[in-house]
Amino acid sequence: MSDPAVALWMLGILVFAIMIGFPVAFTLMALGVGFGFYAYFQPAQQFFDNRVFYLLTQNTFTVLNNDALVSIPLFLLMGYLVERANILDSLFRSLQVALRGIPASLAVATLATCALFATATGIVGAVVTLMGMLAFPQMLKAGYDSRLAAGVVCAGGCLGILIPPSIMLIVYGAMASQSVVKLYAAAMIPGFILAGMYILYVLAVGMFKPHLAPPLPKEESRLPTAQVLVMLAKSFLPLAVLILSVLGAILAGIATPTEAAAVGAFGAAVLAAAYRSLTWKALRESMVLTARTSAMVCWLFVGSATFASVFAYLGGNVLIKEFVLGLDLNPITFLLLSQAIIFILGWPLEWTEIIVIFVPIFLPMLPHFQIDPLVFGVLIAINLQTAFLSPPMAMAAYYLKGVSPPHVLLTQIFSGCMPFVYIVLVTMVIMYVFPQTVLWLPSVLYGN
Amino acid sequence: MISRITYAIDQVSKSIGHAFSWCGLMLVLGTCYEVVVRYVFNDPTAWAFDLSYLMYGALFFMAGAYTLSRGGHVRADMFYRLWPERVQASVELVLFIVFFFPGITALLIAGWGYGTESLRIREVSVNSPAGIPIWPMKMMIPVCGALMLLQGFAEVLRCIQCLKQGSWPSRLHDVEELEAQLLEEAARKRAAGQGAS
Repeated sequence: MSDPAVALWMLGILVFAIMIGFPVAFTLMALGVGFGFYAYFQPAQQFFDNRVFYLLTQNTFTVLNNDALVSIPLFLLMGYLVERANILDSLFRSLQVALRGIPASLAVATLATCALFATATGIVGAVVTLMGMLAFPQMLKAGYDSRLAAGVVCAGGCLGILIPPSIMLIVYGAMASQSVVKLYAAAMIPGFILAGMYILYVLAVGMFKPHLAPPLPKEESRLPTAQVLVMLAKSFLPLAVLILSVLGAILAGIATPTEAAAVGAFGAAVLAAAYRSLTWKALRESMVLTARTSAMVCWLFVGSATFASVFAYLGGNVLIKEFVLGLDLNPITFLLLSQAIIFILGWPLEWTEIIVIFVPIFLPMLPHFQIDPLVFGVLIAINLQTAFLSPPMAMAAYYLKGVSPPHVLLTQIFSGCMPFVYIVLVTMVIMYVFPQTVLWLPSVLYGN
Repeated sequence: MISRITYAIDQVSKSIGHAFSWCGLMLVLGTCYEVVVRYVFNDPTAWAFDLSYLMYGALFFMAGAYTLSRGGHVRADMFYRLWPERVQASVELVLFIVFFFPGITALLIAGWGYGTESLRIREVSVNSPAGIPIWPMKMMIPVCGALMLLQGFAEVLRCIQCLKQGSWPSRLHDVEELEAQLLEEAARKRAAGQGAS
């Protein structure tokens, strides 16, 4: 058997082992070591002189030394601290009061709360469950269609993995050797377009199908504007300032992502203290969860680094590249095909697995099709929103189901998410037709 | 007897994971200190950059075994979770033996040579003249490999226990993600509500 054929077996076994549910990091490492031993085998050598062992430790050390990955635990810690700062109730309440007059105001307030909170935490599950307990019952009580209400909570909660500072873009940057700073700049406008389209959709529902999102009863006494402003200043402003200063420092090039994330984590602790939520328990929980989630992400890198180098050494990359180039696709078809594959992979897999294992297969082909890796990365980040929203593995839907009243069915939540999945797809089309939405901000900030 | 051993190993991994999780705090404080002295006093330190690597590396590497003990390593469980628990345990048992132990053993043995060599020459970082030692980081590779093997052994015992009694043995109670806490609470409330009505 030729070496590239062996590489295909390697990939096949990987996909099979992942599908039967073994932790991906260890599957990657084992296949890398096993096939690497075969690839580097020289009969005269002692067993442990095989180059694969050197490769394994060297790759592990490289992950330990990776510039981009250092910021991951810091952003995670910031997220876990904000999550425990007990800020969500007052944030939602003040936005709800402030937006009272507009159509479908509860849903818009929910989306806005989700967007801001999810951006700060970057964690999907917590936002959806918290808002599922806080906003979802209120919308149901106000007579909202339960599908619409469910879709709003799920879609809003997922925005955090797209809008910077998101962990996903750091991981993509590390895989694609792209600057995280540029990726953040590239994702800003598409992130806002997506959030904006969500809000427009909800507004349109409120205006044209008011029976799905009835306006709140008028007789409830309106609070004076000054009081609303005070409420916003107490809840909305501190969180917004925290995020904007972290992002601003990164985008303006004042601080590296790592430095900004460290200051952001410190700021989150101060914020939690200001809301009297910085208990020993909250701090300890945040630390432990940060360690666990970082370990999960970084061990994936340890496994994939060895797998990828052995796969490439065997000629697997070249084989796949030649195959795809041999199909003689034009750039549009390639882009559609690759995004469609990622969309489908998003059903059974989580974003970490997709970005660490499957995205690197497409990356070497981008120059041939003259696709900017920034555009490709942001497209993926938007595309993977659907991974959380579409069945069968829609995590967001399951989280919401877990905290919602029993009469809300999982199928209703799924069908509520569908309009938002379509909006995601429309946003991707917009980005494809107008790539300036991605490239304009990086080019203004950093030239070419 | 078996559960005593798995609990003991879980406890070891947990203590080490929890202890090293505070490296995250050191990482925050060290980097913030550097930001202040560099941007405010224009007097950067020589050590902060290396410290951040050491702390980040220790944080994620030493938490690996702990994450394994909590079932926290990412997996695609679309089919897995539909199977009866005995099938889950037998598949997992086979894959631990075929995949996990060879891979981690390779890491341990190769890392041992790599780490001890660095220790022998007391290797220091080349990033700055401060001479921050980086041999502890390289020594961490075999140490962590050993911890992973130990935890892997506990996971294998757990599979065997599940095969014997037909259901997964319970795990140590520990810190949970907020959504997991909330979901558990909601489920408990719902069960209580049904009991009352």
